[in-house]
Amino acid sequence: MKTTCLRAGVLGAVFLLVPIVASVPASAQTPKAGGRCAPKEVGKTVGKLTCVKDGSRRRWVAAAPAATAAPTTAAASASAAPPASGGAPIKLGVALGLSGASTANLAQDQRLGVAVAEKFVNDNGGINGRKLQLVVQDTGGDEAGAIAAFNALIDNDKVVGIVGPTLSQQAFAADPIAERKKVPVLAPSNTAAGIPQIGDYIARVSAGVATYAGNAIKYAASVDPLSKAAVFFADDDAFSRSETVVFQNAVKAGGLELLTPQTFKVNDTDFTTQVNFVRQSRPDLVVISGLAQAGNLVKQLRDTGYSGSIVGGNGLNVVQTFSVCKQQCEGLIVAQAYSPEIPSEGVNVEFSKLFQAENKRIPGQIAAQAFTGVLVFAEALRALEKEGKLNGSLEQIRIDLNKAVLAGKYSTPLGDISFTPEGEINQKSFYVAQIAMKRGATGDVFSGVFKYVKF
Amino acid sequence: MSFIRDLPQNFFDGLSIGSVYALFALGYTLIFSILRIVNFAHGAIFTIGAYFTYVLTGGTLGGGNFPLSNTRVPFSLNFWIALVLGALLAGLVNVAIERFAFRPLRNRNADTLLSLVSSLGVSLMLSNLIQNLVGSDPLPAPEPLPGTKPSFNVASVIVQTSRLLTFAVAVIVMAGLWYLLNRTRTGKALKAVSEDATTSSLLGISTNRLILFTFMLCGVLGAVAGTMVSTNFNITGPYMGSEYALIGLAVIVIGGLGDIPGAVLGGFLLGILQTVVSSISFRVGFWDWNFSGSSWKDAVPFITLAVVLLVRPEGLLGRAQIQKV
Repeated sequence: MKTTCLRAGVLGAVFLLVPIVASVPASAQTPKAGGRCAPKEVGKTVGKLTCVKDGSRRRWVAAAPAATAAPTTAAASASAAPPASGGAPIKLGVALGLSGASTANLAQDQRLGVAVAEKFVNDNGGINGRKLQLVVQDTGGDEAGAIAAFNALIDNDKVVGIVGPTLSQQAFAADPIAERKKVPVLAPSNTAAGIPQIGDYIARVSAGVATYAGNAIKYAASVDPLSKAAVFFADDDAFSRSETVVFQNAVKAGGLELLTPQTFKVNDTDFTTQVNFVRQSRPDLVVISGLAQAGNLVKQLRDTGYSGSIVGGNGLNVVQTFSVCKQQCEGLIVAQAYSPEIPSEGVNVEFSKLFQAENKRIPGQIAAQAFTGVLVFAEALRALEKEGKLNGSLEQIRIDLNKAVLAGKYSTPLGDISFTPEGEINQKSFYVAQIAMKRGATGDVFSGVFKYVKF
Repeated sequence: MSFIRDLPQNFFDGLSIGSVYALFALGYTLIFSILRIVNFAHGAIFTIGAYFTYVLTGGTLGGGNFPLSNTRVPFSLNFWIALVLGALLAGLVNVAIERFAFRPLRNRNADTLLSLVSSLGVSLMLSNLIQNLVGSDPLPAPEPLPGTKPSFNVASVIVQTSRLLTFAVAVIVMAGLWYLLNRTRTGKALKAVSEDATTSSLLGISTNRLILFTFMLCGVLGAVAGTMVSTNFNITGPYMGSEYALIGLAVIVIGGLGDIPGAVLGGFLLGILQTVVSSISFRVGFWDWNFSGSSWKDAVPFITLAVVLLVRPEGLLGRAQIQKV
């Protein structure tokens, strides 16, 4: 019996592995963007592709985009500069929930976003000639991991500032550590109320949900006459708890009847109870605050016949949602702080091109905000370097960097931004999008887009 | 009243998720019955099984900048064939785990605690391996029966097709396992080894081979559970098995450590209890307080565990262990 099973298994392994290996973008003979290259090819350029070493990996990547006519001073000066070369690299910390069950999806996009930012900054002169070096620490999905990562970045890696963590829940635990040690933090995806208020050294590039989440409700009400709304939120996630308050207020402000809010857990995939609630109470609007896994609620609602409007929160505003609710994502309405469809700013065009060249997909809000976090630090560091303030003690650099971050104005993929003295982002443009799904070339039904809607 | 009204619906949904818990926990309990260790890597095998099936059906792996991003095999197998092949592959991975993570410790007569730590390490390694090869993107599970309606009504119960299939597959696999254990020589040998490995060995039973076979079998069970879960909720990422790993642990303790019918009973019990408790919600007007059962869903397995341990420490169907001192 054992021998038979083993033989069958070996046969299966061969069937599986050979095609996978064969289908991996192959190597150096005909380089393709994103494909692997040999150690001896590092630095070599073939056509429009260059072999670069990124950590332990070597890949063919598109050469840095040519400088475009960027509308802002910051972007223009960066594009004109030669690549970073001299001096010791400046270390910037990044704390992401790469291995958290609930955060891995988000953190993966953030990691791609910061990696593109690192390349963008260094290809455009670095910090006035010095290289920007990102030090990434995995926080896992909980508060303890975030605290450990912050301590490691501050005390062991000696970073000048930190972009992170992934969840607001983690930020409330880890940011006070940075505050006590006077290390500037830029939150890339912490949209819960109260984040900048944690302290003087905490700012965010992720606008608070109160700023724009209500737009999605307004749009839904403008499309269909609505009378009754059911609200669901992940009660073990600070961001979702915060967002649902905004949604509930928007529902009430719109004159809709608000049914008793229902809860779930951020890692839940089975939404039987919530689906039954909707079946019994018959709302014509369902509003969901959770992470990408909550796409399962969208799917299960549609699978069981719910045909009303569905509004998703910021956690569903990620491309990963498409794979969760598949064709049932169609029509899902989300409010956005970033739209890849609105290339009104030069930096957004460059970011979008570079991101797609590196990762073969359109960047979403999470990646754009992570990119922005690194870009803001880089611009602030450039300003400090010009003033000769990067040669002092690390403690003083961190203090000066915090001041520079809060004082600056930045051209980013999110548009032109600045900060309030408290650390809240001043962002002008917000969007509402509706998901449109399409069948992929291979038959997978998870290819979708966030279609920008005007109302 | 809504609680009573929803009972049939919750019972059906509980049976479906409970069958997955049972299938998953059988993997734990089989290994425990033979080696007296808990294989924490079982959650990772559950995940790997779902990924294998997805790949074999021709699904494209997630995006991003990872070695296997956006790749797919150049063929597309029928879901059911992919399920079987994927489960066998996961079984092989489990065999490799036994060979490299458990056997060296067993050969040295190491404390079972070391095996536990070893399996935890393997679990983390496998999850991270998936993450570093294909990323963390959720993946859309293949459809077992393409073109069928996602749900249909039976009286007041909405039956989701994927859940019905999950239940059916779990029952068939469990029936097959029952046959294997009770009606075949291999099954009898397994039972003998679980009773007393040394005596079985003296009687000519090759314990090492049987252990390998058990790991293969457990890998298949875990992979089938993972794949069927993914047809309901998709592949949520490299850590999709971690939640089931914890619940599975509660299931085998509730049912009785190492007891196979106990694991099945524990799985169904927890599935139904979780769904029913989640559906309870009421408002206490005096305190202006809402009770939402769904907030307690994750606590149900462990509250149940605590109650069972208080009332019947050996588990529902377990036998009291008499230890010599």
